[in-house]
Amino acid sequence: MKNVLIVDDTMFMRLSLKTMLEKNGFNVIGEAANGAIAVEKYQELHPDIVTMDITMPVVDGLEALRQIRAIDGQAKVVMVSAMGQEVMIRNAVMAGAKNFIVKPFTEESVIKVLSKV
Amino acid sequence: MSDDGISKEPMLEMYLFEGEQLVEQLEEIIIKCEKDKKFEMGAINEIFRIMHTIKGSSAMMMFNQIALVAHSMEDLFFFIRANQNVQVDFVGLSDMVLAGIDFIKAEMNKIEQGKVADGLGDELIAEIKTQLTKMKKSYEDESTLPAVVADPVANEATPKYYISSYQPSPDKKTENTKYCVKVFFEEDCKMENIRAYLVVNNLEDIVEEIYYLPVDVIDNEESAIVIRENGFLICFSTAVSYAEVESALNETAFLRKMEIDQVDQYPDEIKALHRRKEIRLDDIPAEVDFRPQLETVETSKDVDAGPGNNRQQNIISVSVAKLDMLMDIVGEIVISEAMVTKNPDLAGLQLEGFSKAARQLRKLTDELQDIVMSIRMVPVSMVFHKMNRIVRDMSKRLDKEVNLEIIGENTEVDKNIIDHLSDPLMHLIRNAMDHGLESKDDRMAAGKPSAGKITLEAKNSGGDVLIIVRDDGKGLNRDKILNKARERGLVHKAENELTDKEVFSYILLAGFSTNEQVTEFSGRGVGMDVVTKNIEKIGGSLAIESVCGKGTEIFVKIPLTLAIIDGIEVGVGKSRYTIPTISIRESFRIDEKDVTSDGDGNEMIMIRGQCYPVLRIHRMFNIKNSVTRIGDGIMVMIESDAKIACLFVDKLVGEQQVVVKALPRYLKKVQGIAGCTILGDGGISLILDAHGILARQLA
Amino acid sequence: MSDYIETAEDTQRGKFLTFSIGKEAYGFEIKYVTEIIGIQDITEVPELPNYVKGIINLRGKIIPVMDVRLRFKKEPREYNDRTCIVVIDIRDISIGLIVDHVAEVLVIPPENIVPPPAIKTGFHNRYIKGIGKVGTEVKLLLDCDKLLNDEEIDALSNAVE
Repeated sequence: MKNVLIVDDTMFMRLSLKTMLEKNGFNVIGEAANGAIAVEKYQELHPDIVTMDITMPVVDGLEALRQIRAIDGQAKVVMVSAMGQEVMIRNAVMAGAKNFIVKPFTEESVIKVLSKV
Repeated sequence: MSDDGISKEPMLEMYLFEGEQLVEQLEEIIIKCEKDKKFEMGAINEIFRIMHTIKGSSAMMMFNQIALVAHSMEDLFFFIRANQNVQVDFVGLSDMVLAGIDFIKAEMNKIEQGKVADGLGDELIAEIKTQLTKMKKSYEDESTLPAVVADPVANEATPKYYISSYQPSPDKKTENTKYCVKVFFEEDCKMENIRAYLVVNNLEDIVEEIYYLPVDVIDNEESAIVIRENGFLICFSTAVSYAEVESALNETAFLRKMEIDQVDQYPDEIKALHRRKEIRLDDIPAEVDFRPQLETVETSKDVDAGPGNNRQQNIISVSVAKLDMLMDIVGEIVISEAMVTKNPDLAGLQLEGFSKAARQLRKLTDELQDIVMSIRMVPVSMVFHKMNRIVRDMSKRLDKEVNLEIIGENTEVDKNIIDHLSDPLMHLIRNAMDHGLESKDDRMAAGKPSAGKITLEAKNSGGDVLIIVRDDGKGLNRDKILNKARERGLVHKAENELTDKEVFSYILLAGFSTNEQVTEFSGRGVGMDVVTKNIEKIGGSLAIESVCGKGTEIFVKIPLTLAIIDGIEVGVGKSRYTIPTISIRESFRIDEKDVTSDGDGNEMIMIRGQCYPVLRIHRMFNIKNSVTRIGDGIMVMIESDAKIACLFVDKLVGEQQVVVKALPRYLKKVQGIAGCTILGDGGISLILDAHGILARQLA
Repeated sequence: MSDYIETAEDTQRGKFLTFSIGKEAYGFEIKYVTEIIGIQDITEVPELPNYVKGIINLRGKIIPVMDVRLRFKKEPREYNDRTCIVVIDIRDISIGLIVDHVAEVLVIPPENIVPPPAIKTGFHNRYIKGIGKVGTEVKLLLDCDKLLNDEEIDALSNAVE
């Protein structure tokens, strides 16, 4: 059972993802509402996978991705973005993101991506 | 809403909860910006972020109109954020955003009530787009900055290659094998080009060289179309096993079809690329500054704990239903505790140890109760801040400049109560603005500052919370009110004996309005009595003070909590009633002879030189088989808002703490009965509300 | 609402709980019924219409009780140990109906139900949704919604919300 850290500044999104993941056999071990907390939680919890929203206050997804990858080169981070953020996704992928999910997403696509990470 | 097989209920609740919070926040920010006549970077970012969030969540929940409206506003602010020097028409822009907010609010309201969110945002979106186009045009005309949206790194046709970190092990004599792979992604999986890049990424570390077609996957969106039609071609050479290659390729999500071939030679199109080889190191293109400014997002004072918390979350959100359940159970515990410690079986026994333990238990249940109640307490700030919007809208419509001052917004009140506060407060503020405050000219003529001031204050006062709506307008005219009241036959006391407070409280009666014109907002004469009713519904009361020419103050007193009160249980016939201790002054027995009647059958008694009306509960509520002889019953003197009367009941049963339960909604509300409670023996006692009882019987 | 009612939604269509008042037999759809209890102490509440007898404590929940006899303007009868309270739940309103006694749950297929005669006389005809034929007997099938909510009641019950 894979452990997941959900990072998104919206309660709604965190709840959506958590519900979908837990229904499909993933174990959500933590949540973070911005990139700074995400990095902290990563170090504290060592999740197998991180879902990372791109647009967040304080520290955004891209920066948090970089910091996490700097701490742990094996970190598996999946970006969650809105449509029209191709450039950000590209940058994220080049910075080491393993895959990405586009909002609005369906349970099916989320699980597809996370199962393969 | 599509059904993913997940119950949408908790999601919907969360969506509405967060959505409504965000919309409120947004409203505040916009109003502030409009007032300050500037859009600070922090505000712009916040607005953008909120719109972005609402768009995302609404799209997830399939509320497409809301998503579209939010999207168009997001675009608008995206532009403003990227081009800070753009000229902005503050008022027009605010109006537009507020219109968008109203649309979203209305739709969310419909959703909350279980109706279909059928509003169409087309017109609004068209307006917003027009505004955006206008802005863009005027911006391009003026500035020399390039349009920010395009990706500056876009047009490189030169293919990039990567020197992979793959190092063939020096002792391995295995040769590299060439592979040719064609990948097809699932229909409609979007951004195939980036997915393609991911595939390449995955292979990087296990290949010696890699080429792919189309080459500009990273930079060119259109390559996605090519990939959709022709598939993505990757050719590489590696010494790792076929199995490893296949496994790496299988990590691709949304893979529809994949053809893996071992080849001796790369196909021609790849060979063509090979010849044009230019080796470049991993290169992250210069970033376009789409990231939100990383300056600390200011939490402006108006914007309280927002959903995008940039401070540590030591707060969790709890469903109100759970809190209600908790409240109920704590209430039951209080009753059970009483049933144990005050059990008739123990009467007369000497139980030192038991009593000590019982006291300890009592202490703990009290504490538990206090804590649970405090969990339900919510600051009035949310409700208060909503008023900013009302003030803003009305001051525009009435052409009156008004400042709203908010004091004591952190004062807390039970969640149940706060929901019923906003309508009455809205009405009071509207009244103040419409009737209380004079026009600019009148104010200046009276030597007042041209801008009117309305103060909304909340403070604790004993077991109640006091909310004051104060304006510095023209105040109430005692004579005018008295005349109207007399006309309506509402005056029952000698006029010179009426205090100002009593005269002013006439305006709280139904149908009372001294306004000649009916304005759009008030003056129809149905306002104040509805306000009063709503306040009374939550167990509160209203009082008015005013100085003609100077201003008016409306005092709204509401109980801290409805949930648990101390009461005295009384019996009338077979029925049992509970009177809140706080309303009781004293109780006593009297003789037949102490009671006098006036001509109309109204009874009264004299106590220490004062005369008080006697109210027979059995008559009031038509209870049979009760005590009717004065000498056989008990008088309970109750008080509310300076009105005092004596209630005649059969007997006093005892003192206890009761958990207030509402009477079933189906039943018509009876004035004077605030609710009911379940007694220790399972029976039901009706809870009397002093204010209501007194209002019933006394003018 | 008990789980039984919720999950067995479909299997409850066509099932009616029948009860008698005097000589007449009535019934209503079982999907509205949450439980049936024996008559218990009723706490009177002032100013209610005569057919609403008061409120009872149902395991901590306070629900109003209505005497169906009185609602149909029939002669009131004293309650005895056969008298029952049928608790129904419609649109979030729970209410107990006091009936002489409960007969049984019957399945009445739609083909055995005919619309009530269009006779204007008979006060309680407007509460009858249909006439169900069961063997040689006839059951008057009530419209619970109407029973609880017609203009009369609306006028009386001030919307609390």
